[in-house]
Amino acid sequence: MRKESDRGIAIVGMGIVCSIGANTIEFKQSLKSGISGVTRLAVRKGPKLSVDMGAEIKNFSFLDDLYRYSDLPDEILQKARHCARRSSFSIQASVLAALEAWQDSGMFARANDPERLGVIVTGENTTQNYRYGLQASFEADPEYLSPRYALQFLDSHQVGVLSEIFSIKGEGFVVGGASASGNVGLVKAVQLIQSGIVDTCLVSGVVADLSPMELQGFVNVGAMVRENTFETPSEASRPFDAGHAGFIFGQASACVILQSCDMASEQEGVVRAKIRGAALNLDGTRTTAPNAAGEARAMTMALQRGGMSAGDVDYLNAHGSSSPLGDATEVEAIKQVFGDHLSELRINSTKGLTGHCLYSAGVVELIASVLQMEDGFIHPNKNLENPIDSDLRFSGATFEKCRIKFAMSNSFGFGGINSSIVFQNGG
Amino acid sequence: MNTGESVLEKINVFSVVKNAITEVLPDVDSESVDIEQNLKSLGANSIDRTEIVMLSMEKLDIKLPLVSFGGVENIKEMVDVLVDAFDGNS
Repeated sequence: MRKESDRGIAIVGMGIVCSIGANTIEFKQSLKSGISGVTRLAVRKGPKLSVDMGAEIKNFSFLDDLYRYSDLPDEILQKARHCARRSSFSIQASVLAALEAWQDSGMFARANDPERLGVIVTGENTTQNYRYGLQASFEADPEYLSPRYALQFLDSHQVGVLSEIFSIKGEGFVVGGASASGNVGLVKAVQLIQSGIVDTCLVSGVVADLSPMELQGFVNVGAMVRENTFETPSEASRPFDAGHAGFIFGQASACVILQSCDMASEQEGVVRAKIRGAALNLDGTRTTAPNAAGEARAMTMALQRGGMSAGDVDYLNAHGSSSPLGDATEVEAIKQVFGDHLSELRINSTKGLTGHCLYSAGVVELIASVLQMEDGFIHPNKNLENPIDSDLRFSGATFEKCRIKFAMSNSFGFGGINSSIVFQNGG
Repeated sequence: MNTGESVLEKINVFSVVKNAITEVLPDVDSESVDIEQNLKSLGANSIDRTEIVMLSMEKLDIKLPLVSFGGVENIKEMVDVLVDAFDGNS
């Protein structure tokens, strides 16, 4: 019989590149300080858009950052350079986050059976801006279109790149789940490991490199904050605040390495946290509308699968996208699930600092949660001045110490996609 | 056209090709590229080779069907195909 502490799937490596940190150490510091990555958007070619702010990755240099991971064998760094040097921003960002996670896991120093390693890339339509950038020269002269385009416009190119760098030869694929993509990937990785198909799975959340057309689309559908709504960019992402007005575009590539507990104990690496339960369900709708019952069902199912009850959870990293309807719906769902235990549950939303990282949000927020667990704090809800609900215990405007043993992270997406993950500290 | 011009042209085209090679294959030192070598021996896979051809054509403002390079065995023969087309253009 397994001990209680052996349950779950181990998180053995984490890596990130986002607007408030080029790695997990910088990211953790920004979380503690409540630093927002939201600024005026970089100027884009093309028509003027109705959106003027976002939490973009700035000062990105693949070659400068590559050699930061000098603990890794030279062979891996050379392969990374070779595979990604002439690739799109989104590939390069994925590679850097994956290198950090790989170094963190210590796996490079051990013998791994490549056929027992898997890779899941989270995010759909991740090459839109790459394509948009080629449009004008393509229209001028289709014949000079790079032959590489036929590979690189495919989301699955990320699978190929990561599998080549890290010699992964088990299962690998792309998952899409709109804003829940990151969590969808985590759910599938947990299932791959639980079913014994792989021992270890790298989950890579792809940076949302939206083209001007997607940015405008999110404004037009009423989901993203329209220009001139806020004077100060850092105040624009306001999850659960009465002044929330839609989500703010955020960029992050984020990577975690999941492993069966048996393999983790065999490898004697550091287990940073353990995923206990993961759930994904649908509302049966093609629309953007959130649904409290569906969200509650995802949270409840994640708890059940983890053999846990609502009262066990100390901390919730909410989906909290700063959407008025989305935030109110999630509050309703949280109340349904946590009922009498609301007073014991601390809540924040990382999107208040990072913006909404879309395809990678679930992975970003799992990493944020584990970093908070490890250091015993909850990060500020920087812009939460007038909470839309007085029963929920949201974190305040400043860093707070908080002992977290069990945590939950939610992600919801257009098309009625609900997901929730519960995890416990690594000890 | 006299022979001197043709040699000059060939040198220019080779230099364009070398730039394309180092752009696609950053580990290759352009000084060490010998015109008798083939692209495979420099580490180019099939997509790299196609891209080197296309980047070179774009720089030279030449359009040739890729099949024109079908029988090419080394960089010299690739340069010859490009020079022929370049002559045709000018």
